[in-house]
Amino acid sequence: MNDQIVEFSNLLRRNGIRVSPSENMEALRALELVGVGDPHGFRTALRATLVKRFADMRLFEELFELFFLGFGKAVAESDRRLMAQLGLNPKEFQEWLEQVRSLLEHRKDHLSPIARALLAGDMGQVERLLREAAATEDGEAVERRVSVGVYSHRVAVAIQIDRVEQETADFLAWAESRGAAPEILERLARYLDERLKALSQLLRELAEQELRKSSQTPPGRERLEYLMQKSFSYYTAEDIRRMNEVVTQLARRFKNLLSLRRKKADRGRFDVKDTLRKNLQYGGVPFEIQLDRRKREKPQVIVLCDISDSVLNASRFMLQFVYSLQELYSKVRSFVFVSEVGEVTQLFEENEIQTAVEMALKGEVIDVYCHSNFGRAFDMFYREHFSAVTSKTTFLVIGDGRNNYNSPNDWVLKEIQQKAKQLIWLNPESRLTWGFGDSEMARYVPHCDFVEECRNIEQLYKVIDRIAA
Amino acid sequence: MFRSIDDVIRRLGEQKYICNKNVATVVYLACAMQKPVLVEGPAGVGKTELGKVLANSLGLELIRLQCYEGLDEGKALYEWEYAKQLLYTQILKDKVGEILQGSQSLKQAVDRIAKEDDVFFSEKFLLPRPLLRALVAEKSTVLLVDEVDKSDTEFEAFLLEVLSDFQISVPEIGTLRAKHLPLVILTSNNSREMSDALKRRCLHLYLDFPEPQREMEIIKLKVPGVGEKLVEEVAYLLQRLRKLDLKKKPSISETLDWVKALTLLNMKRLDDQLVQETLSTLMKYEGDIRKAEEELKRYLADRKTKLHAAAVESDKDLLH
Repeated sequence: MNDQIVEFSNLLRRNGIRVSPSENMEALRALELVGVGDPHGFRTALRATLVKRFADMRLFEELFELFFLGFGKAVAESDRRLMAQLGLNPKEFQEWLEQVRSLLEHRKDHLSPIARALLAGDMGQVERLLREAAATEDGEAVERRVSVGVYSHRVAVAIQIDRVEQETADFLAWAESRGAAPEILERLARYLDERLKALSQLLRELAEQELRKSSQTPPGRERLEYLMQKSFSYYTAEDIRRMNEVVTQLARRFKNLLSLRRKKADRGRFDVKDTLRKNLQYGGVPFEIQLDRRKREKPQVIVLCDISDSVLNASRFMLQFVYSLQELYSKVRSFVFVSEVGEVTQLFEENEIQTAVEMALKGEVIDVYCHSNFGRAFDMFYREHFSAVTSKTTFLVIGDGRNNYNSPNDWVLKEIQQKAKQLIWLNPESRLTWGFGDSEMARYVPHCDFVEECRNIEQLYKVIDRIAA
Repeated sequence: MFRSIDDVIRRLGEQKYICNKNVATVVYLACAMQKPVLVEGPAGVGKTELGKVLANSLGLELIRLQCYEGLDEGKALYEWEYAKQLLYTQILKDKVGEILQGSQSLKQAVDRIAKEDDVFFSEKFLLPRPLLRALVAEKSTVLLVDEVDKSDTEFEAFLLEVLSDFQISVPEIGTLRAKHLPLVILTSNNSREMSDALKRRCLHLYLDFPEPQREMEIIKLKVPGVGEKLVEEVAYLLQRLRKLDLKKKPSISETLDWVKALTLLNMKRLDDQLVQETLSTLMKYEGDIRKAEEELKRYLADRKTKLHAAAVESDKDLLH
């Protein structure tokens, strides 16, 4: 049992659910308490000890079924179909199985173990035999990510499926030679046929499960470091999925920086109540002055993120970052634009990170199938949302500044800079290319407090220190 | 403590808390393994209630720590009672004088008083806040840390220490170890993701809105004298309402309020007029109410056709 739980946690890990060794031990302890006899308790115990995030819940259920219930569903399905075909109710079906089994008993010397189990309807035994065969086959096939068809074919060869078919045919011939009644023979033929079909289905199922189990490799430490320096534009789909972890770290760092500064701050209003209280220990003589620092300045961040094709990967990353910021702070408003501007704050609040980012990028809020037009976007922002900018706002623009030769409307930036606490521009393009072609960076830069090239996570780290300042 | 999972269901049931096997299993495990439980789920599904009911059914004291932004150790753990210390020094002035009597130098006097300073920094002058109270209690307790997601990350880290070792160090006294491990329930509305470290130390329980069957049981239990038909309809309607895209989905407590209102108005079945007028007990946002009204209309229309179909069916039966 222990091995199985450990293996199951490995499966969870491979699919991106974090399971620590201590949680593993806990799962085992919980199982001792609940006992493995109660399937419901078993499942709940594992869920409570191994899965700690709501978002992982569904994945857990899926993997649990895959791992522990095995062929359960497929087998039940095949039995049901068989009953329907033979026109038998469950009780009659049992009787029929008994008959078949007694027949099989006579021929057991002529049948391989797997054929015997299959024809007798002992699917548990069939599953064991299939898994054994797969285990010897396994390893490298899975590593090389063969297709389901290829994998199931290999296992089929390993269990000698042609022999099973031959033996089944022989069995039918033998039954005929014994002079069984025609209708019984016909029913038997149909029964055997269905069993063979079920076998090939199980093979397929097995292949899918095994391949699924090894579908992902754990993200290593080096992998993260490598990601840090890789330019956004070269990110693969795989990288993007893994970014999650980095992004959370990043947002946390951002928050820590802020609270660090809060503690150092020694200015603020004189707090009468706290001072009296604190100085009770000195008999009410105010030795230690208490200042009211409770009103911590929360960063009010407004993010305006370009999501046009040219910077797609970068903006995907930035949106994830913005999403995490929003989780940490109440006062973050996020906008995206290509040509028109749309607010995604609520979208982010209501959806899980991956879905939310995909929704934003897929044009849930704005039309994404047009040419980027910074000028129009700025103008629109000014008209519709400028009131959101206050003197405490950190305004963050993310984009390459490639305006397709439209009117740049840089006056909006000027207005924003004057009103906001600071205006920061992050450009996912290399600094060398700024100002060439349709890049309007030269016009925009003078209005920003801080402009930085931001092509990978390392650079973003630096920027964050700046934003928090 | 609980003997088995079924025992949990039964004893919580005695406290009028209906839970499914999932909840019971996790509660049972938490008691048996002495691990904290992190309960997550939408607002109003009975997360806090679970803590209260647990305390009642086990006959333990409930100590509740409500989290909020800016909650710090001083409010969660302990504070020195300076006023009391001061008062005692005043009262005991003579005694202090006695101790100091005959001391030759200032240094000697300080040494003598230093020997006694344990008296003033002892547990007697410690004002225990919820966490400390739960640790030093003479009997085991249920510690309910409510809305832990509202607290700051710093506090979360601090909580971590308390929850993993069940001990606290007070600089002047030393380490205070829990005499009895409290049963800890943390609730979260998921307004932010809790840290992995905290989650690792807890069992996790996700409470969701109840299935209609269970909701009917709850309503009947909490609103005595409610009509069978009404309960059925309400539970069914709520399933539909919760599927809508609402700002805030109607919770169990709101459902109960609503049903109470409906029973007070002597409703036996849902009908158009009264329901619309009372919807505000169920929904708290204007937009939600509008959406709910539309859904209600659809529901009533569905019911009508269904009733009609059923009536036709029964007519047929009569003909046969």
